Amino acid sequence: MRGQRHAIQKVPTKIAGLDEILEGGIPRGRTTVVSGGPGSGKTVLGLEFLCRGAMAGEPGVFITLEERAEAIRLNASAMGWDLAALEKAGQLAIIEARLLGEEIVAGDFDIQGLLAIVGGHVKRIGARHIVMDALDVLLRIYDDLKRERNELSRLHDWLTDQGLTSVLSVKTRHDDHQGSQYEFLDFMADCVIRLDHRVVGQVATRRLRVIKYRGSGFGTNEYPYVFGEHGIVLFPLTTAELTHQPLGAKVSTGLKGLDLMLDGGFRLASCILISGNSGTGKTTLASTFAQAACQRGERVLYLNFEESTEAMISGMLSPGIDLRPSIHDKTLLVQTATPESTGSDYHLNRVIETIAGFKPDHLILDAVSACVRMGSKQTAFEFMMRLVSVVKERGITSILTNQVSSGVPNSDEELTGIGFSSVVDAVVQLRYVETDEEIIRQVLIVKSRGSAHSNRRQLYVITDQGIEFPETPQPPPARFGRARRKDGGK
Amino acid sequence: MSKSPSAKAPARRADHEYMVPADHYLLRLFMAGNGANSQKALTNLRSLCEQRLAGRYTIETVDVVQDFEAAVKNNILVTPALILVAPLPRVVVLGNLSDLPMVLAALRLSEADS
Repeated sequence: MRGQRHAIQKVPTKIAGLDEILEGGIPRGRTTVVSGGPGSGKTVLGLEFLCRGAMAGEPGVFITLEERAEAIRLNASAMGWDLAALEKAGQLAIIEARLLGEEIVAGDFDIQGLLAIVGGHVKRIGARHIVMDALDVLLRIYDDLKRERNELSRLHDWLTDQGLTSVLSVKTRHDDHQGSQYEFLDFMADCVIRLDHRVVGQVATRRLRVIKYRGSGFGTNEYPYVFGEHGIVLFPLTTAELTHQPLGAKVSTGLKGLDLMLDGGFRLASCILISGNSGTGKTTLASTFAQAACQRGERVLYLNFEESTEAMISGMLSPGIDLRPSIHDKTLLVQTATPESTGSDYHLNRVIETIAGFKPDHLILDAVSACVRMGSKQTAFEFMMRLVSVVKERGITSILTNQVSSGVPNSDEELTGIGFSSVVDAVVQLRYVETDEEIIRQVLIVKSRGSAHSNRRQLYVITDQGIEFPETPQPPPARFGRARRKDGGK
Repeated sequence: MSKSPSAKAPARRADHEYMVPADHYLLRLFMAGNGANSQKALTNLRSLCEQRLAGRYTIETVDVVQDFEAAVKNNILVTPALILVAPLPRVVVLGNLSDLPMVLAALRLSEADS
């Protein structure tokens, strides 16, 4: 309740993630300004706020000053909101109030007409919320700043007098990231939200930032957002991190040898990184786990950013892993995507929506290294941080594979490739070793949080029966950790 | 809504139903109650019509505060606003009509047009 320390009353927007950032919602009975360039989602944000309010029994009026009402209804139906039904039920009014641009100006005028229209509809449905979309279009008819300000003040006073919780959206120019052309509007409003739509490394990203909030605290970062299937989705990472589930019991890796090395297996709800060169069997290892989990009746979501489902299935048949029965009985869901096909925020949202629907026990991501192709190393980092946060919050075990280019990485940073090792609980490193006669493969447990683990490199081979250990791996150096603690941590 | 002079037009009809001579001017003025600009616009309009259109004009006034549906229907966001309904083409003039040359030009009544 930190946000209400000055007795500011708030109205939840019910937009996923936004209320956390606004510490409860937008100010009740006051004005919120949403500004941003074309395509940044101002209209959707306003509409979603109204729709969700209307669905919860808080009637609202949407004044569109630019788009046709029919276009608004159509866009909304794409998000699954039935505006017509809400309008019919008297919970919502979509009012088209567009200047045609052909008007001739011959003397002084004011926006009484608009206020009359708005007032009429507010009264008709008993509205508590109002959104005026594209206020800049209306302001365009004023050729001088002073009149523009007078009219804005008039509008603001009127909205406040009516006790309406209002959202006013204005379009800013592409080059105007500060939105300074509507400085007065920002000054007048109690809450100002900036939407930014930019292209980084050929990938479009959207960011939301709260500029000011009179009498309330708010998240001050830039937050990525996407248009999900049912509206805007924000990812306030800072809040997500606080609710990670503790690591759970051990779960078999599907390989007796590896279980021995890990003192029983992976820990549930932990994040495991399988790192190694190309051809060391990362996908085979991950698939072995998936198959074993599915055979136990657990649900596995396999995100493949490297190859198609068909290619993966046939590739895994060679080391004797048949994933088809698990896919058939729907314990295994493979979701593939080309990293560069869309922005990381969209990939993230797609995964989150799949997680919500499929409710997996475990998630496999193949591979972290491919995620860099979503934009940049930074993009991949943010994507991974957020994804791991989301799965940890839900107590889902995550297995991430990462291809290292060459040599043997030593640091955690090198192991992940993008430096997010702080969220990784266990690291399994696979590598090749050249001897005079052959190339052999070795596996090493680099770390395993909250668990004893073998400290030896172990030889393994990939046969047509899967991964096998020619020598039975050594279990972890017996009670190494505990023994050390006993004699005073020497 | 009031009309003046009212001899010709009975109850309000849809625009296309007005059977008026080709040179008859039908003007609809949207006002906001007794607002200063609205009153000024009405005065300006009446005087202009008397001077230039005596005997061949009808002025309808609509108070948007009383009749917001009419404002919605006619896209009237600012007041006062004047719509030249007939003769076509339709013209919308915003403001208190104090800029007389602009109003005359908009209504196609400039010296050059007459």
